[in-house]
This record gives sequence, C-alpha cells and structure tokens, in this order.
Amino acid sequence: MKKYLVLILVMFFSFGLITAQDEEAPKKKKDRPVRSMFESSVLIDDQTSVIPVKNTLEMHIQHRFGVIKDNGISDLFGIYAPSANTRMGLNYSILNNLMLGYGITRINNSNGKMISDFQVKWNILQQTRKNTIPLNLTLYANMAIDGRNKDLYQPDTANLDYQFANRLSYFTQVMVGRKFAEWFSLELHFSWTHYNAVSAVIPNVEGYEHDVMGVGGHMRFKFSPQSSILIMYTAPIFIKGMAENEVVLNNWYSNFGIAYEVATSTHAFQMFVTTASGIIPQDIYMYNNSQWTKTEIRIGFNITRLWNF
Amino acid sequence: MKSLKQITIAVIAILFGSALMAFVMPQDQKKAGPWEIPEKYQKMENPYAGDKSLLKIGKMLYSKHCKSCHGSKGLGDGSKAAQLETFPGDFSSDEFKKYSDGERFYMTYVGRDEMDSYEKKIPDEEDQWAVIMFVKSL
Repeated sequence: MKKYLVLILVMFFSFGLITAQDEEAPKKKKDRPVRSMFESSVLIDDQTSVIPVKNTLEMHIQHRFGVIKDNGISDLFGIYAPSANTRMGLNYSILNNLMLGYGITRINNSNGKMISDFQVKWNILQQTRKNTIPLNLTLYANMAIDGRNKDLYQPDTANLDYQFANRLSYFTQVMVGRKFAEWFSLELHFSWTHYNAVSAVIPNVEGYEHDVMGVGGHMRFKFSPQSSILIMYTAPIFIKGMAENEVVLNNWYSNFGIAYEVATSTHAFQMFVTTASGIIPQDIYMYNNSQWTKTEIRIGFNITRLWNF
Repeated sequence: MKSLKQITIAVIAILFGSALMAFVMPQDQKKAGPWEIPEKYQKMENPYAGDKSLLKIGKMLYSKHCKSCHGSKGLGDGSKAAQLETFPGDFSSDEFKKYSDGERFYMTYVGRDEMDSYEKKIPDEEDQWAVIMFVKSL
C-alpha cells in the first residue's frame, strides 16, 4: 500500500512539473512602435514626432519663397523674389527616442536676420502596433540666437542696454499623435513661445508681447508607398487679459499649409504652399504677417536627407 | 609656328583616338560575382514564414527602399539601375530563386559593394523579413 502511495505522489508531482514547463514555453511577443507615422521630422512649418533610428544624421534644406500674388509671373510666382528665406539644419539621433539638432536660418524681413537654433526632441511615448500604447507623446524645445550685428540689433530693442541674452528666444511644444491607419496619421500640439527682447514704442504700454501660446495640428494622407498629401494648421492663442501691453502690435495670424510629399529610402521631399514666411516656429507664432484668407501665400519646399552610421 | 601645328595635330589625334577607344572599352554593367555567405545566414530561417499579411508591408517597404534600383517587378530595371556598375540582379530568375531566406537576408541587411546594408534603413526585424517575403513572391 505504501509503495502505491509513493508512486501516486511521484506521478502527481511529475505531472505538475510537466504542466509548469508547458505553461512557460510560449514567449510573449514584444509590442513594437508603429511604422513611420510621417516621413520626416518636419512637416511644412511644423515639427513631427519622427526621430530617425539611433545614430542617424538628418539634414534639412528648407525654403520659403515670396508671396505668389505680389508680382505674379514677373518673379515666377515668388520663386525668384528677393525675400526668399532659407534654413539649413542638421539633426542627430543619439537614441531611438532622442534627437539633437542645429540649424541656421535667414529671415528676410525689414531687418534681415540670421538666426541659429539649437533643438532637442524627445519621444516620451511611442504608439505601438498592438495598441499597448495608443498614442505618441513628444516634447520638442529649441533656443534660437538672433545673429544680427550689434549695431543693427539695437533698434529692435529700444530702451534696452545691449545684452547677449536679448538675442535669445525659446520655443517649447508638446505633441500628441496617432497613426490611425497606414493612410492616415494625425498629430495635435500645444506650444509656448518666449522672446527675451521685443520692440516697444512705450514699454509695457504699446509694443510686442514677449510670450505667446499656440495650438495646431498636422495630418498625413498617404496614397501610395512613396507619396502623401500633408496638411498643417497652427494658431497663436492671445488672451487679452494676460497681455503685458495695452496696445499690442503683434498680428497673431494663423498659419496654414498644404503639401505634396515624396519619400524614398533616404530622402523626403515636400513641395507646398504656406502662409508664413518664417521657418523657425517661434518666428511663425510671434511674427507671421501673412493671412491665408487674403491669399498671402507662398511656395516652399523641405528636403530631408538621412545618413545612417 | 611649326610647333603649334604639331601640337594641334597631336591633340586632334588624341581626341580621335579617345573617341575610337570608347567603341572598344566595355560599356555593359558587370555581372555580380558569387556571394560569400556565412553559414549562420545560410541556415537562418524566417520566423514569420506563413504570415501572408506581411506581403503587403513588404511591398510598401520594397517600393520605398528597393524599387529605384531593382525595379517594380524585381527585374533589375529600376530608374537608378543604369547608373550602377554592377547589374542589380533579376529576382525572377532561376539563379536568384535558389537562394534561401537566410541568404537573401544576408544580401539585403549585410550587403556588399553597391548593395548597401539596409539594416539601419529598415531597423525592425519583422519589416526586414516582410521585404524578403515580398521579394520571394516576385
């Protein structure tokens, strides 16, 4: 009897071991980030949540030409206008979700600025294929340095002694996005812009604001493996009760753009019409003087080139 | 004056000779030599074999990354193919069809010479195999 009891006990535990091994066998597949939501880290005048894979160098060449309707065919609808703006930039992905960058921009307004910008982008959350994480959450920040000569710089900062800090401006943005389908992605964002020094007729009475918040969004309609239509809209949020001046000189015009994009293995090429003449975001939110509703639009393009290391 | 005439004749002779040489020099692309593929890749198996849903993904990635050289049907007739020194290969040929999945994986994601490594451009493993599966279906 004792022998049978021992045998039964041994068989019971053996079965338990076998069962336990069977339960351990299937491995859980890791849920991975969705495939490219957009093709470039810029979309017309906006930043996207895209950060190329770690150790990738991304180069940008961005152009904004003159207003189409100003001279019509005479300057080929603004393409040969002297007011064209250019930005050239380099970004480097130091991690799969962290990118640093530098760019230099020419802004042909009345003062003719050369602006250097240093930027950082961080994907805090990345949407996954099986919806474990349903959204992308991205932070973008930059600091720009107005590089005009000191004597040219003074008139813009009336009643202020010259300080290097007066040249600085900051832009911070949080983006939330989702790739809804292979053909459709959408991202919404909220931002804050700050200029250390702005022009004023009478400080704190009549002049430009130092700060402005902004909202906006962009979307992609992808209609072939390489081609997409992109749409972008951004608007500054000006709250009169929070204004520092009684008479505010900023126009607070929103910005709208629509683009056709072609992407290859290492390039993305966006051709578009947009409202703003500026290229760096703080300039667009704070100083956009063109209105889409008055057809003050211009042709532009962005070229993105990637190198992997 | 005589020397100028001699120089002119010499220059014309060199140009004429160069033009004739163009007919003699090989104009065709080189045919790719045999691949030396490590044993590890020869035995490598596709962990996603049988997942037909990946063919659509593979087609999309192929269009973006491969089509410009290999052509839309993999015949090696893409828009950039003529600029290559080496013919990029015909995926529908019997010669190419004999390669195993692992060998194709090595050719695509390790590469050699003009065939760059696409490991960094297509970093996700599932996507990498999706391209292999699509190429195999051509």
